Amino acid sequence: MLHLQPNNLLIQKTLAEASEALQAGAPLTFDRIISDFDYTNFHVSNTNENRTQLFLSVRTKAWQSILECDGGAQGVLPYLAAKYTRLPGVTVATPCEAGFDYTLAIDLEQLAPETVQQLSLLKTNIMSFPFHLAFQEFVTLSAANPTTTTVQVGKFNEETGNVSSYDVSKTLYTIQYRDNENMFIKPSNDRITVIFETFFQDETDKVFGKVFLQEFVDARKRNRDIQSAPQVLFSTEPPLELQGHLPQGNEIADEASKRFITFVLFPRHFANDELQFKTVAQLTLFRNYFHYHIKCSKAYMHSRMRYRVDTFVKVLNRAKVDEDEDEAKETKRTITGRKMVY
Amino acid sequence: MSQSLRPYLTAVRYSLEAALTLTNFPSQEVERHNRPEIEVPNTSAELLLQPMHIARSETEQVLIEPSVNSVRVSLMVKQADEIEQILVHKFTMFLEQRAEAFYILRRVPVKGYSISFLITNKHTESMKTAKLVDFIIEFMEEVDKEISEMKLFLNARARFVANEYLGEFVY
Amino acid sequence: MTDWRRIDIDAFDPESGRLTAADIAPPYATQVSLAELQPRIAQLRTLASSGDMQAAVALATSDPPYSADAQAKAAYFQAVLETLTQVRQADIAGVVKALQPAQQDVLVKYLYKGMSVPEGQKQGGILLAWFERLTQAAGVRPVTHYINDRNTV
Repeated sequence: MLHLQPNNLLIQKTLAEASEALQAGAPLTFDRIISDFDYTNFHVSNTNENRTQLFLSVRTKAWQSILECDGGAQGVLPYLAAKYTRLPGVTVATPCEAGFDYTLAIDLEQLAPETVQQLSLLKTNIMSFPFHLAFQEFVTLSAANPTTTTVQVGKFNEETGNVSSYDVSKTLYTIQYRDNENMFIKPSNDRITVIFETFFQDETDKVFGKVFLQEFVDARKRNRDIQSAPQVLFSTEPPLELQGHLPQGNEIADEASKRFITFVLFPRHFANDELQFKTVAQLTLFRNYFHYHIKCSKAYMHSRMRYRVDTFVKVLNRAKVDEDEDEAKETKRTITGRKMVY
Repeated sequence: MSQSLRPYLTAVRYSLEAALTLTNFPSQEVERHNRPEIEVPNTSAELLLQPMHIARSETEQVLIEPSVNSVRVSLMVKQADEIEQILVHKFTMFLEQRAEAFYILRRVPVKGYSISFLITNKHTESMKTAKLVDFIIEFMEEVDKEISEMKLFLNARARFVANEYLGEFVY
Repeated sequence: MTDWRRIDIDAFDPESGRLTAADIAPPYATQVSLAELQPRIAQLRTLASSGDMQAAVALATSDPPYSADAQAKAAYFQAVLETLTQVRQADIAGVVKALQPAQQDVLVKYLYKGMSVPEGQKQGGILLAWFERLTQAAGVRPVTHYINDRNTV
């Protein structure tokens, strides 16, 4: 359980269950809420009358920002529709279920394993839309201004007072995937910068998080095998890319405890569709991944302390005067070892 | 064992041996009360003996406060950085929540110290004094070791986790 | 009004028999003042700087100013601490062995006092080395004497 998987296992299981029941001739009625990371909820349901058609609805915190990230064009709808309607038996339900952001209708008769896999990736696919836009913009930018020189990231230009020593896009894609935490994507002509804004509520998490994030930054420098991984930067101040772009209204009481983690993706990380998907799946799970491992560390320490306390108790119990000891000496025994009974 | 740890522990051992000569002593003020005099506020001064400070450095100290029927031993565990601070805090909290199992552990440490023990004449009557001293010495050794091991573990885990995550990007 | 149940009434009762730290301090015939101590401190410094550590420590630990006020004690203690920290690690055992039992008792008082103040805690390693040598030479005796002695340095 080192890595988190981008697909939702519960959706897979539910769909498999539904299709099995249908094949057995006893279709089930469904009304299930399935949760995922970052306040994402899925609703799997069907009606009593038509049990072969299943509805999969999703509600996610990030929806609103993703809907608006291309200047209000709501491009995510056709993007998702293109992804899902090519699968047999899947149609987009309009209007979507009340209280949810997006609904797919699935014909269980035509359910294929590939469809199940894709449906379980629904959250990742929604999140991938801004990345998709960024990848597209990168292509246009790099075609307009091809460059081979590597420029230091975020280098401050003294003359213009800008950070743009390379051709940076004007757009900054923002995904508000949690209440006070955002993800920013900024394409330029030779790289794509992904910035995570995060903060820790718990004091312990804050310190542990610092250790973990520092290791993310240092890992690439230390380990030759992962030289080709994205560069990771960590700061407590908003990076220059975000200057003037930070969304309003999500300030927290303790602004200083916010942390910014920057991933610099190079073209090799999104050269083809498969790599793009892998990269996006990894990045969208970044926050969950390291928070998960912080919790794991805490759990380990807890069990370790538990064990240590036991050993201390043992040492202390050695100090106790054993009352039976003196008694045992006094008990008289016969030469064969039997106890003398009076 | 490091060069300066041995004299430190020796000093604590001798001080404890000298201090753990306790006797039953009913309260002078309240009838039928028998309380650890070191814990009584405004107790009569003759019941308290000279306190002993043993310091290895400014951050690593032991305070032994003897009285006629009880001894209070307070440890200050070394806390070099934020992580150690948290680990020490968690660890001592953990122990204090299980204070019944430890008989001599005080639920709240003396102000300024990480953890405190209170040894009364009841304890020295039912336990071997030498082993009690051994316990405190071993405790001091182990706590330091435990904290540094946990810190190393945390760093090792963070490193591994980061490597694995970034390793996924290597194509 | 504070919680009257928590008022310590014995503190107001002159007949309660409760003693304070001042009550149990041993009576001194005369009080040594800082001015009277100055020559001793100077002598200690001269001995220490001339390298005669044996004599310096012996002087520091004989007839300490028990009756002096806090300020004078602090000045004298400072000089003793300086002397103690100037002795080389290897010489400590010899110096301790040559001391009289009464002087060893005084030495342990200065060691505990040293470790209770920040200046001494910085030199914790040296004071602990002294302590170790002292217990090797005299066992637990000086510590026991220290605990029970009301004469403070």
